[in-house]
Amino acid sequence: MSVTIALPSKGRMKDDAMAIFARAGLEIVNIGNERSYRGVITGMDGAEVAFLSAGEIARELGNGNIDMGVTGEDLVREDLSAADERVTFCARLGFGHADVVVAVPDVWIDVDTMADLGDVAADFRARHGRRLRIATKYWRLTQQFFSAQHGIQVYRIVESLGATEGAPASGQADIIVDITSTGSTLRANHLKILSDGIILQSEACLVRSRSDVRSAPDETLLDDIVKNIQTISA
Amino acid sequence: MLNQPKFADDIMTLFAQRKALPVHIPVIQPADPFLDMAGEDLRRRIFLTESETGESLCLRPEFTIPVCLRHIETASGTPQRYAYLGQVFRQRRDGENEFYQAGIEDLGDADIAKADAHAIRDASDTLTALLPGIELHTTLGDQTVFEAVVAALGLPDGWQSRLIHAFGDPALLDSLLQSLSQASGKVPGIDDRVAALVDSGDEAGLTELIDRQMVATGYMTNASRTPAEIAHRLVQKARLSNARLDAKALDVLKTFLALDTPMRDAADALAAFSRIAGLDLDAALNIFNARVQALEKAGFDLSSSRYRAAFGRPLDYYTGLVFEMSAQGAVLAGGGRFDRLLTLLGAKAAIPSVGFSLWLDRIAAARAVKSERPSQ
Repeated sequence: MSVTIALPSKGRMKDDAMAIFARAGLEIVNIGNERSYRGVITGMDGAEVAFLSAGEIARELGNGNIDMGVTGEDLVREDLSAADERVTFCARLGFGHADVVVAVPDVWIDVDTMADLGDVAADFRARHGRRLRIATKYWRLTQQFFSAQHGIQVYRIVESLGATEGAPASGQADIIVDITSTGSTLRANHLKILSDGIILQSEACLVRSRSDVRSAPDETLLDDIVKNIQTISA
Repeated sequence: MLNQPKFADDIMTLFAQRKALPVHIPVIQPADPFLDMAGEDLRRRIFLTESETGESLCLRPEFTIPVCLRHIETASGTPQRYAYLGQVFRQRRDGENEFYQAGIEDLGDADIAKADAHAIRDASDTLTALLPGIELHTTLGDQTVFEAVVAALGLPDGWQSRLIHAFGDPALLDSLLQSLSQASGKVPGIDDRVAALVDSGDEAGLTELIDRQMVATGYMTNASRTPAEIAHRLVQKARLSNARLDAKALDVLKTFLALDTPMRDAADALAAFSRIAGLDLDAALNIFNARVQALEKAGFDLSSSRYRAAFGRPLDYYTGLVFEMSAQGAVLAGGGRFDRLLTLLGAKAAIPSVGFSLWLDRIAAARAVKSERPSQ
């Protein structure tokens, strides 16, 4: 019997996650040397810690290969279909803030809302011989927001693997869906966020994978960790 | 490979009698035309793969688009009726991911009423032949009538296109009607200099200003929306910002969208609606009535069909008629008119088109249920 808890393996996310666990009285000790990717929680037999990238944590939570993890809500909702059926968001941890937003060029002074964008998308093919192009790495969130929430069906997604904010100026796409924390990158690239264009206000979360095969002692162990973290993050 | 249903040959024989030319469509298709036409939402529901050179490919999710593309590529003349039967592949939460469809696409028949009627009759005849004695329910809708109502109300162009765009998506249409019923007031998100130009209706001045700003910020003025296009839409939007859909127009639209009547009474119901609402819908109603007459002439039994005014498909290539046939609560056939599709796919001239598709897995299920029951 054991559970695996995954924490981000590097950078600010790792430091902040470790700090939260420490404040909750859960001391994480690396196995072997300080840079190893495995650890344990002192005094909690049966709790293993794995250090993974934030993106892997989201995916592995969906697969059920890990029981709990700290990762960004945006990654979980983007990677997993029907995320709420597969995982539970147990606590919002107050770091790693980033909004997933719809941004259009500043010069589109006639476009302020998603309804405006819907008008533009509807006409786009007739005017330009192609559909409106959206650069993003958030395929799923974009589709849900545009198609399901705003009834905008006709657009194309252009996959962007980095520097998404540069796509409109370089002509690769017309608008973007991307994360922003302060908005400064968007402003520097002459983009503006639509007034109702915030798709998700994301931050790092403690996320628990839903499983119906976990043993009762394992569930109790996870409950304890959640309780400890909730006490300090509330 | 899924086994072809036993009744597949019967379908193709019947289609041949209806002068439809069988076409072979490869299972592996370029994905772009489907995503371009039906939107990115389709991406979740099709099986995508990539060629070695990076071209996006998919397993055939439906037949209409590849049949039309083939028609354009082979430069076949019109009118032409095509018949198809084969597997389609879609990711579904309920039901299998691969199943058979068969159907007819009727391209280029200028006699709209007759072509519409034949599509409905052929779908109905095929279902009746496969499911003798079954009670079929047909539902018809017609976007042309809705467009005529919106136009006759004299609504501003911007609103008309929004409403037509939302037709067939009840939730979107509802929220749109609600938002149009409230004046939006000042145009948000523009500075004083722009506001002054908007107030004086100076589109040329606005265009120049936007052009300068694009150049200054390193945006290409020809890669996406042009300065003139943005200026024009802003002025139009400002003009509408103080207007709101009045109570009478809202009432007329809601009354229309609630119409749901047996097909036999539909012409009278629409005539009564246009008289009471004081709208001139003659052109659209003539088309509608001609279709009803053509249906009767084609021998289609109107008694099992209804007209539902709000019934449509929210994709921009559907234009007029839409219909659905169901039995025992399952939709067995769907069809409609897509006059815009061929030009969107690259045809040089407009080609009026109508077609239908049969769900063979559901037909097989209905046949199984039927054969289990002792005949009465």
